[in-house]
Amino acid sequence: MKPAPFDYIAPETIDEVCERLAEAGGGATVLAGGQTLMPLLALRMSQPFILVDINRIAALKGAARADGGTRIGPVMRQNEVIADPTLANALPLLLTATRHVGHHQTRNRGTIGGSIALGEPAAELPAAAVALGASVEARSTRGVRRIAAEALYFGPYATALEPDELVTAIHFPDWPPDTINLFREVARRPGDFALVGLIGALTVEQGRIARAGLAWFGMGPTPIKARQAEAALLGQSIAGLDARGIAELAIADTAPFDDHHATADYRRTVGRRIFARALQEALDARQAA
Amino acid sequence: MSEHRIEVTINGQAHRATVEGRLVLGDFLRIDAGYTGVHLGCEHGVCGACTVIVDGCAVRACLMLAVQADGCEITTVEGLAAPDGTLHPAQQALRDEHGLQCGFCTPGVVMTLAALTGDDKRPSADTLLAALSGHICRCTGYQGIRRAARRLAGAPAGEEPA
Amino acid sequence: MTAPQIGAARFIGQRVPRKEDGRLLTGRGTFVDDIVLPGMLHVAFVRSPIARGRIALIDTSVARDMPGVHAILTAKDLSRFKIDMLTFYLTLPGIEIPPLATDRVAYVGDPVVMVIAQDRYLAEDAAGLVAIDYEEEDPVVTIDDAKTGPLVHPGSESNAAAVLGVEEDEDLEALLASAPHLVTGTITHQRVSQSPMETRGVVVDQQGDEELTVYIACQSPHLVARYLSQAFGMPNISIRVLAKDVGGSFGLKVQPWREEMAVIAAGMILRRPLKWTEDRLENLTAANQAREQEITLRIAFDADGKLLASHADYDLNNGAYPHGPDCNIAVQMFMWAAYKMPAFGFYTKGWYTNTVGLAAYRGPWAMESLARETMLDIAARQIGVDPIEIRRRNLITKADQPCTTSLGIQLEDITPAECLDKLLETLDVPAFRAEQAAARKQGRYLGLGIATYIEPTASTGSIGVMSGELAQIRIEPTGKVTATLSTHSQGHGTQTTMAQVIADQLGVPYEDVSVFEGDSSRGGFGPGAAGSRQGVAGGGASMKAAKLLLDKVKRVAAHLLNANPDDVRLENGVVYVAGAEEMTRSLREIAEVAYGEPDRLPPDIQAGLETQYRYTPPPVTFTSAANACIVEIDAETGFVAIKRWISSEDCGVVINPAVVEGQIAGGLAQAIGSVLLEEVSFDARGNPTAVTYKDYMLPAISDVPDFEHVHASTPSKSEGGFRGVGEGGCIIGPPTLVNAIADALSPFGARCLDLPLTPSKILELIEGRTILRKASGHGAGPQAAAVDRPTAVTASEPDATPIGEAAEPQAAPPLEPAPATAVDGLWKMVLSTPMGPQAMKGRFATNGQILTGTLYSDMGDQDFEGIVAGATLKWDLKVEKPVSLTLKYDVQIEGDKLSGKVKMGFFGNAKLTGERL
Repeated sequence: MKPAPFDYIAPETIDEVCERLAEAGGGATVLAGGQTLMPLLALRMSQPFILVDINRIAALKGAARADGGTRIGPVMRQNEVIADPTLANALPLLLTATRHVGHHQTRNRGTIGGSIALGEPAAELPAAAVALGASVEARSTRGVRRIAAEALYFGPYATALEPDELVTAIHFPDWPPDTINLFREVARRPGDFALVGLIGALTVEQGRIARAGLAWFGMGPTPIKARQAEAALLGQSIAGLDARGIAELAIADTAPFDDHHATADYRRTVGRRIFARALQEALDARQAA
Repeated sequence: MSEHRIEVTINGQAHRATVEGRLVLGDFLRIDAGYTGVHLGCEHGVCGACTVIVDGCAVRACLMLAVQADGCEITTVEGLAAPDGTLHPAQQALRDEHGLQCGFCTPGVVMTLAALTGDDKRPSADTLLAALSGHICRCTGYQGIRRAARRLAGAPAGEEPA
Repeated sequence: MTAPQIGAARFIGQRVPRKEDGRLLTGRGTFVDDIVLPGMLHVAFVRSPIARGRIALIDTSVARDMPGVHAILTAKDLSRFKIDMLTFYLTLPGIEIPPLATDRVAYVGDPVVMVIAQDRYLAEDAAGLVAIDYEEEDPVVTIDDAKTGPLVHPGSESNAAAVLGVEEDEDLEALLASAPHLVTGTITHQRVSQSPMETRGVVVDQQGDEELTVYIACQSPHLVARYLSQAFGMPNISIRVLAKDVGGSFGLKVQPWREEMAVIAAGMILRRPLKWTEDRLENLTAANQAREQEITLRIAFDADGKLLASHADYDLNNGAYPHGPDCNIAVQMFMWAAYKMPAFGFYTKGWYTNTVGLAAYRGPWAMESLARETMLDIAARQIGVDPIEIRRRNLITKADQPCTTSLGIQLEDITPAECLDKLLETLDVPAFRAEQAAARKQGRYLGLGIATYIEPTASTGSIGVMSGELAQIRIEPTGKVTATLSTHSQGHGTQTTMAQVIADQLGVPYEDVSVFEGDSSRGGFGPGAAGSRQGVAGGGASMKAAKLLLDKVKRVAAHLLNANPDDVRLENGVVYVAGAEEMTRSLREIAEVAYGEPDRLPPDIQAGLETQYRYTPPPVTFTSAANACIVEIDAETGFVAIKRWISSEDCGVVINPAVVEGQIAGGLAQAIGSVLLEEVSFDARGNPTAVTYKDYMLPAISDVPDFEHVHASTPSKSEGGFRGVGEGGCIIGPPTLVNAIADALSPFGARCLDLPLTPSKILELIEGRTILRKASGHGAGPQAAAVDRPTAVTASEPDATPIGEAAEPQAAPPLEPAPATAVDGLWKMVLSTPMGPQAMKGRFATNGQILTGTLYSDMGDQDFEGIVAGATLKWDLKVEKPVSLTLKYDVQIEGDKLSGKVKMGFFGNAKLTGERL
């Protein structure tokens, strides 16, 4: 299990990365934290000609307030995300999700951008990006564009990013303080990919749901936005919400499959339950408060 | 296939080397630098045996390239004990608590505990145990490892402030 | 019996720090991959991507031209050696086992070509450039495939690797048929990987024509040296095998296997040092594996729940190249060894398949405990007896011994009943039952599992290689003690425990004793770690040798000091003469004379202070245990949380409690892995589906509870009174945990006999397939699900009575009747067609008198509908191949068996048999 040969480059600037990606014509792979890419290289499932290490580019690090939201550099380490007070305040749900990514040792290297750009369907962060309405800023020598997270994922490890594009930031919009956060993950051991995962944010205004972002992970070939459930929730009074009914709608958008770890039936059944329970408990907690 | 000059400080000693771009840090530490205490148990980031401390953080040496360590300070299990042989508290705790059998996973476990308790930090037992979920031990059933973690912790398991 | 007196034992029984830990904690151990030799080259294998087929063409030309590549070898190149791959018993296996595939490949991962290059990176690069054409054939993957499929080893008579026992014993059948209670079940154990954290590895170094040095991850360097000598048949070369630190083995490294043998042969061909370190991908796909087996156990009881008779039908997947063709007769030997069982018969088979071969795994016969102990709990429920009580009524107690079991095993001092008593002193069963009952009312599902067993340890003499162990001990002129032992640690800590024994017996400080092992050129032959034997055989040898040495010290000292040898004693490294304080000498003073001034020694005594003893323990030393475990199952997700685990074991005199508990805990953790997490599986083409540690899931720290230990410590008949303890946890752990899960799930009437019990399976057990199959379910909690469960027909399992409830039925009354002739679920069947037997599986679901289901076979999946009447099922199925026909199925269910006939138009009737999965 040793990587196949490649040329390694570690540009100092974003422009240089974009130039190198453009020259490579699809033969280059970007190395961020490497916590998923390195195993793929070792197994020779990934054999790029050029490995472009972006870890030395200062402009890709850190988080800042911008555009009525938070702009996070893709090379921000997952453990840095967890420890960042600004993010804790603005995006508590993102921190919760990030705590479930891998293990302490992999979060010391693993980055938020790497995880979101890779698009593992059972990973926490792509689903967090979808649920929270994030978008990625993708830059190439052709220009800059923003891709909404919900339009980013096509299949396992398949995204709308072009081979010459570099993710230069992830933008998370603000969610008002009166937002109900939902997070549930069923995984066989700590740090494993989810068998079933749910992440969601519901903003309450005057007793009604004014904004809803819900996404599943481990429930199909991509992170899955629970559109039907979101639509049903909008405008609903939170008093007397039918959590089970909403869960049913949420499950209707999933497309789970059988694998070595669980059956599709299992994922659907448990997904329905954790959704209903998470929602009900959040509503009850709010009621009690 | 590119080659790169790197300078790395390992256990306080500066090393200069020319490495292939694809050389994994774990192989560099074992083969080029001679720190065979870095054990490669899976080479895909799950077992944790190769864990080392890079610039203060516990990381998997199988999930980094050697060239990425250019300019970094690395500590391996060989670099923990005092020059007079006094064991690091993480090593001593594992020894006292019979936290190892075959010893293959041990260097990784030691490095995670050492990283989290470095600079006199006293994280809770929950924090240490959560971090230890990133290590696979096939021999001990984790009994002595858990006792060692509890001994090193600042607060007992389950009593961490929220 | 010569157990040490408790008062005299200063080191035996102590949790002394391990001698191994200093180097292992500081990264200064020496594992095989740490060995670096001048001029050493590295090996990578090119492996078969298909499970079965012919090698049509191998083209190595491109790879050979790559800079840094020194050689590329195939089976043809190795053919200058006649290599006899041997079984663990050093016998010929009966099939041809080539180190590298010759003309055929027999499993995915079968090594075909070796690439030898400057480093491993280059070797893997070149391996990717080797081109091999295969003619692929349909593989034989499962045990069922083996029974009906083509031959795995062309030229052999059948795919049966080994068969023993009797298929149908009329007398036994009559006993079973006439018994008041007959309990039947089929238990399936998945394939697992031993998965030592250090993979296999070897460094070979031939020096001239005379010397061959091999560094190898193994369980005994002596055994490897003997194996190599015999397998290569090279009498004129001296073979030295070294293995200082080995990172676990658990049966995998018990003997060198194909890759190691190929590397050693290549090293002798190339005359260069070579290294091969197995990577984890190879380890999970091409290193021999274990445990894929199933057993149907029938047990007859009298009206009081006493055992009358039993029959076991057992099948074991051997893969293509097992470490020895194996039908696991030990499963049968020890099935009822601890119980009063008047009549037992078995039919036990091993099968070749196109999968990676079988190797030992910690307690290779453990299936007997799993099958027996889980079925005893089922029997207890069926008969209405407390599961603890059913064991008490049937276990062989001290009062019953000595005795001989029906399979000829002599028992003198087993103590499972006593271990159970001690266990129950620690565990308040009534309190647990009350907690369980209260929890169930809240929809929480707690369960208690109990299991008892005995384990044959330190088997000696009956099997050729299982000799005694040798201890050579010397007191150096410095007064320090050096011991060279034939034992070998892969984590066992024998440098520590043997030093404790020696220090104790000699009367020297523990720190003064150094133990050396791991070098076949030192000491003498011993099979090392295999069968929980080193404490008994190595401990006994250390004890005996130390006694001899102490005698010599006494004689020498007495002569020098003009005293009576009986008045001389050695304590803490100091020689005392009773009543003569002025005669006190350090051991060093005596040793210096013994080595340097032979003139001052008694005339009949050899100079020096050296001795050796080869100790052969009794043929078998039994260890006994009873374990208990409490779990809570999340009925929403099917996850099992282990709340408590108590091990009560009797491994005789305990040398080091920390080491003993470490062995037990390690085995129990592996048991948890087998029951809940680990699974090597294959798709229909024989491709492994769990090839990394992301998918092959070993227990993590969060999966293993704090174990509580109770030691009974009944001295054995062996020297020192020790009993083996290496494998036990891995044997008693699985039934303990499975019983706890079954107890927790007893309100659902679930049988948990198909490992691993993944969350998916547990949810299916809780709810039945029908719930999950509903197109639109609802967020049903477990209560709702239980209500929805199809109410089937006649009851063969009257109720799920959890452990302890029979004694106090009011404590936790049955919540609801368990369903009945359980029809619903997955069944496997064999249809005897005119074209030969056809294996298939069927999924049945009943709803009142309506039967729905699916048949899965090579012909595809077909849904059907039919009717249920009592235990009879009937349905029709249309098939188009080989001709258009309507098959009329008429099937009777009896417990977990089904039988019946299928009317196949003008082809007539075909027999159908099957059993529950």
